[in-house]
Amino acid sequence: MQLRISAEEGAPIYQQIVAQVKYLVAAGRLKPGDDVPPIRVLAEQLRINPNTVARAYLELEREGIVTMRQGFGTTVAQVRSLLPRREKLRLLAEPADVLLTNARHLNVGLEEVILLLREREAAMQPESTK
Amino acid sequence: MLWEIWGGHKAGFFWQGVTLGAGLCFAQWKRHGVSELLAVELTIASLSAFIGGYLHLLSCFAYVEMDAAKVKVGYPGRLLLKPLRTFHLVLAPMLVGGLAVTTMLDIWLAFVLKPLGFLPAYDLCWISAVLLSFFWWMQALAWGLPLVRFRSFVMVAAALIHLTVGVMPQLPFSISPAWQWGTLGALLVSAVSFAWIGLNLMRQGRGDGPSRISALWSGLRFARARTSRKKFRSAFAAQFWLEWQRQGGLLPGLSGGMALVGFPFLFFVGFKWVGVDAPPPEVVLILMLIGPLLLSGMLGAALAKFDRLDSTRELPGYISVRPMTNGGLVMAKLAMALASSALTLLLSVAGFCLCQALAGKGTLLSKAGLVTPFGPVSYMTGCAPALLLLIIMTWKNLLAGIGSGLTGRLWIANLFGAWRGAAGMGFCALVLAAKLYEDFREALLHWLTAILIVCLAAKIGVSIAAFAWGLRRNAITARAIGWMAGGWTVCGIFVAGYAGHVCNALNQPGLRIWVTLGAFLILPLADLAIAPLALAWNRHR
Amino acid sequence: MKFPSPSSAEAVVAVSDLSRHFGSKAALDEVSFFVSRGSVLGLVGENGAGKTTLIKHLLGTLKAQAGGVRVFGLDPVADPVGVLGRVGYLSERRDLPGWMRVDQFMRYTQAFYPGWDEQYAGQLLEQFQLDPAQKIKTLSQGQQAKIGLLTSLAYRPELLILDEPSSGLDPVVRRDILEAIIRIVAEEGRTVLFSSHLLDEVQRVADHVVMLQRGRVVLNGRTEEVRGDHISAVLAFAEPPAKTPVLEGAHAVAGYGSEWRVLFGGSRLELETAAALIGARVVEERTPTLDEILVARAGGKGS
Repeated sequence: MQLRISAEEGAPIYQQIVAQVKYLVAAGRLKPGDDVPPIRVLAEQLRINPNTVARAYLELEREGIVTMRQGFGTTVAQVRSLLPRREKLRLLAEPADVLLTNARHLNVGLEEVILLLREREAAMQPESTK
Repeated sequence: MLWEIWGGHKAGFFWQGVTLGAGLCFAQWKRHGVSELLAVELTIASLSAFIGGYLHLLSCFAYVEMDAAKVKVGYPGRLLLKPLRTFHLVLAPMLVGGLAVTTMLDIWLAFVLKPLGFLPAYDLCWISAVLLSFFWWMQALAWGLPLVRFRSFVMVAAALIHLTVGVMPQLPFSISPAWQWGTLGALLVSAVSFAWIGLNLMRQGRGDGPSRISALWSGLRFARARTSRKKFRSAFAAQFWLEWQRQGGLLPGLSGGMALVGFPFLFFVGFKWVGVDAPPPEVVLILMLIGPLLLSGMLGAALAKFDRLDSTRELPGYISVRPMTNGGLVMAKLAMALASSALTLLLSVAGFCLCQALAGKGTLLSKAGLVTPFGPVSYMTGCAPALLLLIIMTWKNLLAGIGSGLTGRLWIANLFGAWRGAAGMGFCALVLAAKLYEDFREALLHWLTAILIVCLAAKIGVSIAAFAWGLRRNAITARAIGWMAGGWTVCGIFVAGYAGHVCNALNQPGLRIWVTLGAFLILPLADLAIAPLALAWNRHR
Repeated sequence: MKFPSPSSAEAVVAVSDLSRHFGSKAALDEVSFFVSRGSVLGLVGENGAGKTTLIKHLLGTLKAQAGGVRVFGLDPVADPVGVLGRVGYLSERRDLPGWMRVDQFMRYTQAFYPGWDEQYAGQLLEQFQLDPAQKIKTLSQGQQAKIGLLTSLAYRPELLILDEPSSGLDPVVRRDILEAIIRIVAEEGRTVLFSSHLLDEVQRVADHVVMLQRGRVVLNGRTEEVRGDHISAVLAFAEPPAKTPVLEGAHAVAGYGSEWRVLFGGSRLELETAAALIGARVVEERTPTLDEILVARAGGKGS
């Protein structure tokens, strides 16, 4: 599981982990039943505080993305079923917020934003039909 | 550069002046005809002034800067960066140093040593030139440190070479003056060149590069390290090891060097060339055994340091964060000083045996047969207490000033050093006055017992107070107190007993009480009791 | 400024109203904070802010002139053995005996700590690639930091105090040291306190952050909360102000013309209100990094 943590970004590190894991699950790169690295290993790999990783895992477990089982030495986590639809929408809520805030700052109305979205979708089409 | 030397060593120059003045006074005094005993004392006094003052001068002008943190000794790095030609950098300290060194030597020789009757046949020019060459060599070695991996060997070799060159005029077979001066000239020039090359290399940053020899040496060391010793048995053992590594070898090295190399060479080589007989064995023995006492007196202040090259007397970080009480650290120093003293005296005895052997008078053992009818074994066992006494005295000398030195404040250490010096001089003055004035002597002897008892009581009182305070502040454990107080008592009893025995042998039983009290007084206890508190003051600023 | 709520039973380090003067200069001014077991505290501040002085108080090297210091509930000056036996320390200047060899130094240190783990020490020695036969004075800076760290980790101390562990080191060594620290943190009950200039490291590794400025504590809280209490925003003015605009509650204002970047301490609502007061509107905002917060607070009018 490859994650990238940026200390520069606004979001707290544990939230970045949570978001990235959710993204990996949604994109299918993490399938149900896959192992997620133990807290210690991930902390060393990313060179961050293990408590941060623990917090992220706790959050992920709370939201039902992973399950943690104690007593096996390392924490073996199983990725559950694919995210339900409302989870996915929740995932998209944040980038949507960013887009809308920027639009507001730039004085671009909601209708224009929707138009833009359709344009961008169209521009991406040739790639998806390949 | 001159200004820098001046600024850095103002106090040193002051002391130079003082010692020179003292030497001059003593020499002139002696010249005016005094009694035998006084003459010897004066000789010794002026000799010590000479040695002390001159060595200090040498250290001032060596122009070497020490970085205690990295244990790197060499030319002050910042000057290497100045836009000066290397040759100038070399020349300035060498010239200034050389000038100062030779001038001072000439002054000393002419005005102090000559009246005392030393060195009757010498050539002032020659000796000054040899010394100058040696001094330059020492400077060059100290600066060119990065180049020379085995600097200790080179230093010793250089010393021996200069010694040989120095006695060249006295050799039985004559060497033409041209050759003598030629050799000396070669030495001088090579010293300057060596320094120049060394500084150049340092400037180009190539000074620290490994050489093939050093690579081999590292390989050997690594091989040794693989089969390194087991771990230390206790924290105390580790601390003792550290103290021994840093300072333990100093006294035995100096004294042993003198005893095993210096004196034999002097007596059996140097004297022979000058045509003087080697001194009788009694004198040799006394020199061998007194040497450590004198040396330890001079080195005493250094014991408070934790690193030979340290000048600030602060506790180094890697010691101050160890979980060891201040009392424990002090005990480690005490143990190291004891081991050092014991080793020194053993080396002195060995040196004496060597001298005896060289003189063809047989070893100590054969002589023993002559002295007592009980055979050599009982002679040895009879000598053991005397040796022990000397060890204790040397140990006591080393510990002088440990309390003030460990405070970490240089001014306190200097203050107490000055106080001790003043007290010593006062004591000498007292003795002198007692010798000269009858009624003063009567009064003094009348009150002596009382004075000694009061001093002893004060000493014990201060010690008890210091121990109690130390216990309360966790600076020392009860066990350490036991060792210190017990050790003091035992040594005191031993010294007092021995001295009392000597008194009886000399048919002076009246002196016994004074000697007993005196024994307990001169052995340090209050100093030791204060030492952990002083160290605590140093460690927790 | 939020102070973590004290639960002294768990506090490994408790500093209260600590003050220290060197002559007339106040190096520490009523510094108070505590470190709970198992957490990582990052001590940040510019040079001379008092970080090393504070750390020296924790070790008993400096005595508190006013206020109190307790480590494991003990006073480090009154009971050096009780405290230092459970603390591992790496100083800024490394403070190593240059004349000792690496293996000698390890043996020397080992004698003082019964909890020394030889196997672990050997592991670290290999991992750090140190030559046991080399003299410490011939080691590079990075290697010296490594040996210093090794001898303070090998006995698995309950509290690890590091003063600028990464200073003067190249990124590769920094990475090694950070990994070693994180491994310590992952072990149960071990606490770490470190001071650093490398704020991205502090951000990644520290749970709590204490920022010192001129001897005073100006920030104290969980890393994310401290960041969350600040906003880095861009204000746009209708017309360029004549001189640098003054924004109530901002620690730094910089820019040119009609757009100015500010580092604001407070919530978004407060920012918008304050901006409105001086006739500007917020066109961009994000959470600042610790680095930006430190620089802003240090350079600007100290709060």
